[in-house]
Order: sequence, then structure tokens, then C-alpha cells
Amino acid sequence: MGLARQVDVTASAMASPDAAHHPAPSHKRRKSQIGLAFIAPFGALFALVFIVPILYAVYLSLFQDKLIGGNTFVGFANYGKLFQDPQFWDGVGRVFRFTLVQVPIMLIFAMALALALDSMRVHGTRFMRVTIFLPYAVPAIVATLMWGFLLGVKYGLFGSLNDAFGTDLDPFAPGTTLISIGVMVTWAFTGFNMLIFYAALKAVPRELYEAAAIDGANELQIVRAIKLPALRGSLVVTIIFSIIGTFQMFNEPQILPSMVANSGVTTFYTPNLYAYNLAFTGSQQGYAAALALVMAAITITVAYVVQIRGLRNAPDQ
Amino acid sequence: MRLSQKARLLSAVLVPMFALTACSGGSGGGSATGSGGDQQVKLTVWSWDGTVAGAVPGFQAANPNIKVEVVNAGSSQDEYKALDNAIQAGSGVPDVVMFEYFAVPYFAIPGKLADLGKYGVENFKKDYVPGAWSDVTVNGKVYALPSDYGPSALFYNTATLKKAGIDKAPATWDEYYEAAKKVRALGGDHYIAQDTGDIFFLLSLIWQAGGRPFKVNGNKVHIDFTDEGTTRAVAFWQKMLDEGLINTKITGWSDDWNRTLNDGTLATQTMGGWLTSTLPERAPKAAGDFRVALMPQWKQGDKVGAANGGSSFGIPAAAEHQDAAFKFLEYFTHGGGLSSRVDAGAFVPNTSVLDSEAFQSKANRYFGEQKVGAVLAEASEIVGSGWQYPPFFEWARSVYGDLASPFYTTGKGSLAEILEQWKQRCIQYGNEQGFEVD
Repeated sequence: MGLARQVDVTASAMASPDAAHHPAPSHKRRKSQIGLAFIAPFGALFALVFIVPILYAVYLSLFQDKLIGGNTFVGFANYGKLFQDPQFWDGVGRVFRFTLVQVPIMLIFAMALALALDSMRVHGTRFMRVTIFLPYAVPAIVATLMWGFLLGVKYGLFGSLNDAFGTDLDPFAPGTTLISIGVMVTWAFTGFNMLIFYAALKAVPRELYEAAAIDGANELQIVRAIKLPALRGSLVVTIIFSIIGTFQMFNEPQILPSMVANSGVTTFYTPNLYAYNLAFTGSQQGYAAALALVMAAITITVAYVVQIRGLRNAPDQ
Repeated sequence: MRLSQKARLLSAVLVPMFALTACSGGSGGGSATGSGGDQQVKLTVWSWDGTVAGAVPGFQAANPNIKVEVVNAGSSQDEYKALDNAIQAGSGVPDVVMFEYFAVPYFAIPGKLADLGKYGVENFKKDYVPGAWSDVTVNGKVYALPSDYGPSALFYNTATLKKAGIDKAPATWDEYYEAAKKVRALGGDHYIAQDTGDIFFLLSLIWQAGGRPFKVNGNKVHIDFTDEGTTRAVAFWQKMLDEGLINTKITGWSDDWNRTLNDGTLATQTMGGWLTSTLPERAPKAAGDFRVALMPQWKQGDKVGAANGGSSFGIPAAAEHQDAAFKFLEYFTHGGGLSSRVDAGAFVPNTSVLDSEAFQSKANRYFGEQKVGAVLAEASEIVGSGWQYPPFFEWARSVYGDLASPFYTTGKGSLAEILEQWKQRCIQYGNEQGFEVD
């Protein structure tokens, strides 16, 4: 009997060491309080730098601050005006077109590079990985300046090529500027996306490849049947990142006009640039806030649709 | 342990935040108004002009009760934004602020700047070149004192002009047109000038030709690009562009621009006098080749000029120590502070400086020992009077780029059409902002 009691006590102590000393309800409450304390610093900062600015933007978007006459409540007038503003839709259309062309090209590059590194047939994998990733570490402003010189027709690489071949190509003519920006962005972000794909490939159990090889599959079949499906989750993530990044495009069109004449970059070239110019040269903070919120809604919608569609019927999600 | 770490983290975040708040409200801290008492007054001066700090020690020595703190609030655009915010928030308003000339009406018309009439500044009028004085006068009242000036002048490369067979600076725009053809005949990238839609240049051309496209009267702004002077200037520049005499591929202040100034393929620049201080840095290889002359004239024998850029200092209506602020303003732009600024390279619109022997007879090595000061002093005094900028010029000039860009790339359309579109946009925007624009 004595032994049995002893065992009993040990068992209950093992099952839940705290339960023996505290009644269940207060224990639960305390646990959740500790949790709250842990997330409090995050919560405070999150509210300060994320929630508060959004609420402030919502507030601002309901007002119009005139140079003469001051600040007046205008309700949803800023939103109404925005939907009829051809300059806003011009910028939205541009980032959509840019996304449709640039994002697939960049992600195919990134995927091809990740597969090449993962195939273990490339020498100096670590060196390659760092080299391809490096452009991501270059600040966008520096990258734009660099590409500006490289693509410049006057003294840049394209100028020399034009001289050598007697051509008249201008990467920063109004019709081609967007393509040139696409080249810059692809250069900057391919490495970042490649790392995400590469990490996903590394997570695939090697035994799968062995099993496939034993079954007689060649490299191409392994890629098709194992590796590409394994990349599906990462692909959705990278697409969403890229869409968000593109919709926020700002640095490149902001800097280009100071380097190249008449590249076709207007003050409303992208929605973000337009919002900036509205707020800081036009003193139209309310209108700019409305634009920012509408753009956020569009971005969230697009990203969400991509996520739902991308993960539908996904084997492992 | 964990708690103290968290507290430290939190304080690391919060302390700078409170410090910032404290700073921005700093000048509001208890102190006496006026300058009669023995109490210490602290003035805050916002400026991006490097010569301000140099004038402070002399001022403080003469006014031991006033302490001056100079704050660089960033680029002009950043500064205006910060000032607007401070005025709106009602705290942290500086006592003295620097403004580009075109920004004076933007702050003066809504009543954000103090009218300096109560200090008797009307008596200062004769001490400044007329163009600068008219730039700080809005609706007949003076809201700022001019501090640096940009009389338009012609900078020309003697070596390039000589190659084209021209031995002196074009004195009229007709001569300029002929010179442009000769320079272009040198082939390659040789042009008399570049332009990719520089609104300040076009306006200086209009200004000199007698055009006054903006008429500001209180809240009313009238815009008209069809008066005789404007039409003449615009038609002339249209002709220069149409005949391919202007390089429309090189944008001012870009790396390409530096290169073409260095190798002499750009023969002239019609810009503000301030180019004397930056040209040597931008085109060191052309040292000794450049000279400065008055802007070419519309009629042989005339002497009319225009301005391009420049700035002034004013006192916000919400500033706390206005009397002390005026003391500094006067010292800095009119009185004892001038000499230190001129020594530091400032180009001031004060006749006492411009007319002085020392200023006029100083040879400039970069410009082939030319007495540049004498030319720019003359250019300052002949600036056409009565020019006005619309109060929303900062916005207007950014939009001008959008409208002009298609013309400069394709050659389709005309400057007159662009100006008409610009006018429509200005009317729409101005009326939305509470002005009466037509």
C-alpha cells in the first residue's frame, strides 16, 4: 500500500509539477499573464509604429488642409476624388504591368539559380550564394546611381555600345525606362529570392532523391516530381513579397530624374511617389493619406488572392 | 534580471522619444519677451546657409542677453514642412527662418510671417538692389530681408566660342542665336546650352523680356502667359529648340552636365550669379576658359536683367521673441554681420557691399582673373522689377516637369501649349487650396 501511494504521488507530480501546489484556475490566469508580459514590448512598439500611424492616416484622410482657410473635415471626399484621378490610376496601372512582367522573370531566375546550387554540380557553392545575394545588400539609392551610369547613353556602357555598333538605343527613353527599372529591381532581388528557394530545397529529405534514383528517375524528372513541388510554398511567399515590394516602388523613379533627362518619370509615376509628392510639395496630406490607404487595400487584396489561389490544393499546406 | 533588462530596453526606446519632444518644444521654455529686461533670451534660427553660424559670435558679443542657436532643418523643402508643422502644432516655432524668394508669399499670404513694417524696414529699401526688395514684398508689405541673391548672368566658355569663330560674348539674344548656330556647326555634342525643361531658366527669360505672368494680390492670383514679353521670350526659346540648337539630352546638375561643362561642349550657361561658386567644382578642367557677362539683351543697348534663385530671412508670426529676432535679422542681413558672410563667399544683394571697391575689384582666378564681382553687381542692379511668384510655386514647379517632359523628348507640341496646360493645372490647384485663381 505504502509503495502504491508513493508511486501515485510521483506520477501526479510528474504529470504536472505545478498542479500539486496550485489550483487550476489561478494557474491558468498566471500563465496567460506571463505570456502577455512577454509580448508587451512587441505590442507597445507594434501599436506605436504600426497601428497608431494607420489610425492617424485614416484620420488625416478625412480632412483637407488648405493653404487659405485651414483644415476642414471633408468626409470621404478625398476618396471620391482619388477614384476619379487619372494620375493615380496611371501609377496603379504601371505597377500592375511591372508586376506582371518583372516578378515572373525574377522568380524564374531565382529558382533556376537555386536549383543549380542545389544540384551540387556547381563548384564554390558558398561563394556563388554570397555573390548572387550581394546586390540585395546594396542600398537601392546606390544601385540606381550605379545602373544610371551603366545604362546611360551619354557616357555609360550603352553610350559605348551605341558608338561601337552605330545603334541608337536609349534605356532611359520614356518608353523603355520601366524596362530599365525592371532590370535594376531584378538584379537587386534575385539573390534574396534565390536564398528562400535554396533553403526550401535544403529541407527536402535526401532519401527522396535516392529513392527516385533507385526507381530510375533522371535529374530532370527529380526536379519536376520532387523539387518543384517542394518549392511551391516558398513560391507563394516570394510572389507576395515581390508584389508588395513592387507596389511600394519609390527609390528608382525618385532618383532617376536627377540623373537622366526626360526619362518619362513623372511626379505620379508610381502610387508611392505620387503620395510623397502630394504630401510634400502639394501640401495635400489628407489626399496623400487617402491614397496610401487605398493602395494598402489594393496591395493586401492582391496579395491575399495570390495566397489563396497559390495554396489551393497544395499537397503539404 | 529579466524585468530590468526589459525596462532598460523600454527606456532605450522611450528616452530618445521624450528627448525629441523636449527639443521640439525647447524654445517655448519660460523666458521673457521683448529685449528690455536683463533676462537671457534664446533665439532659434533655421537655415541651410553655412554663413549663418559665422555671424553668430559677433552678434552675441554685441547682444550679451541674446543667445542664438542655429539649426539646419534640412533642405528648403524639409524646412518649410517642419515650419508648417511647428506652426500648426503651436510649439517649437523658430524665431528666424530662411526662405527662398519664391516661398515668401507661400508663408506671408496665410499670415504665417510677421510683417516687418513695425520695425521701420521701409528705410532699408535703398540699401538693397530693387529686385531683391521686390522679392520680399508681398501685397505692399515687407515680410523678410534679402540675404543672398541670384542675378541671371551669362557664363560663357571663351575657348569653345573661339573655336566657333566668336570672339566676344553675345550681347543680344539675336547674337546669341547666331552664335548658337556657329557652335552647333562644330558638330558632335557642341551646343550653346542645354535645356530639359528648366522652369527657372524659362521664367528668367520671360522676366527679362518684361513678361509678368503671375499677378498676386492678396488671395487673388492671376495667371497669363500671353502678354507681350512672355510671348516674345517663349517664341525665342521655341525657335532655339525647334532648330536643334539646344541640347535636350543633358539635364542640369547631372553627371553628364559636369562632363560637358568640363570638355567645353556646352558653350554657355544662363544662370544665377551663384554659379560662380559651384562652376569651379563642377568644371575644374575648364579653369581659365569661362567668363561672366550680363544676360544677352532683347534690344541692342538695353540693360535689363532677371533673377534666378536666391533667399531671404523672415520671422514667423508665431515666434516668441520677435523683437530679439529682428535684432538678429538686421545684424545678419543688413548690419555688422554682413562682412563675415561676404568673406565666407555669400553673394548678398546689399548695395553697400556690391558698390564697394573691394567687391568690384576682386579678380577671380577661375574666370581668368576677371573682376566677376563688378559684372554680378551690375546684373543685380538691373533686375526687372515687379516680378511675382504664385504662392504655390513649390507645387507648380514640380508639375511643370510632368507637363514639359513629353515635349522635350518627342518635340511634339510647343512651350506655349505647355504653359497653357500649366496655367490650367495651377488654376485648379490654387482654387482647391483656397486662393482665387484665374
